[in-house]
Amino acid sequence: MTLQVIFLAFFGIAAVWFGVVVFRTHSMVRSALALLFSQTAIGAMFLVMQAEFLGVLQIMMMATEMSVMAIFMVMFMMDPGGMGAMDMTHQKRLSLRAGAVGLVAALAVIWLPDWGPIAATVPSAGEQIKLLGFELLGRSMFIFESAGLTILTAMVAATMVAIAPQSETANKGARDGA
Amino acid sequence: MELELLVALTIAAALFGVGLYGSLSQTNLVMIIMGVELILAAALINMVAFWRYLHPDVIAAQMFVLIIMAVMAVEMAVGFGIAIARFRSRGSVEMEEARELRG
Repeated sequence: MTLQVIFLAFFGIAAVWFGVVVFRTHSMVRSALALLFSQTAIGAMFLVMQAEFLGVLQIMMMATEMSVMAIFMVMFMMDPGGMGAMDMTHQKRLSLRAGAVGLVAALAVIWLPDWGPIAATVPSAGEQIKLLGFELLGRSMFIFESAGLTILTAMVAATMVAIAPQSETANKGARDGA
Repeated sequence: MELELLVALTIAAALFGVGLYGSLSQTNLVMIIMGVELILAAALINMVAFWRYLHPDVIAAQMFVLIIMAVMAVEMAVGFGIAIARFRSRGSVEMEEARELRG
């Protein structure tokens, strides 16, 4: 067993464990932090798999994303600390079954086929970034630009949905004035 | 020896199962978003593992990882936009109460 397998399994188990903690704790802030740790462990897995750029990107992106998520949790919840031990689940048995079926199906797909020999070496980190740059601004430019445009559209859409309609704001102002 | 690939894919499968359970069982919109994030994270691991262990010379696989990360960001932005709108109009992001579209 190589060192890579050991580290891969270690960070992988950490990622799955924190993923389970997300749905087991009553505290919303703890949930967001557990998801942050889970995503960070996944970033560490990328580093173990010698995808340095993607690993660092994953950790940086998820740290920001989960911090924002924790803020939203505090804003939206009456009990963000989970002191009241509120149950926020439904159809638990069905969800468990669906999760188990999904897991077993995925495991069957993973373990049954013969994947063939695995590659022993990968391009160096610098070479990977160079190749990725050429890929993004060459053959895959259309897909890359589409992703950028999609993010822009989502940002505009999210802002438009989140902004209160003018009539609602005017009504609130009138109520406050009265 | 393909043990590395199997370990990575098995972990991705476990994360997929946990994410599926979470997104189906939670009633809070933000928690549902967290479940979907875990499912997408499983897809990320699959993509990187396939690139690393089967086709390290095909760099387009890394490009698709970036696309999945973009999808994660989009999903979160739109999800939170809907959450804010819902919190403003109903004072809650509990999806049990969201029955407006029911016929």
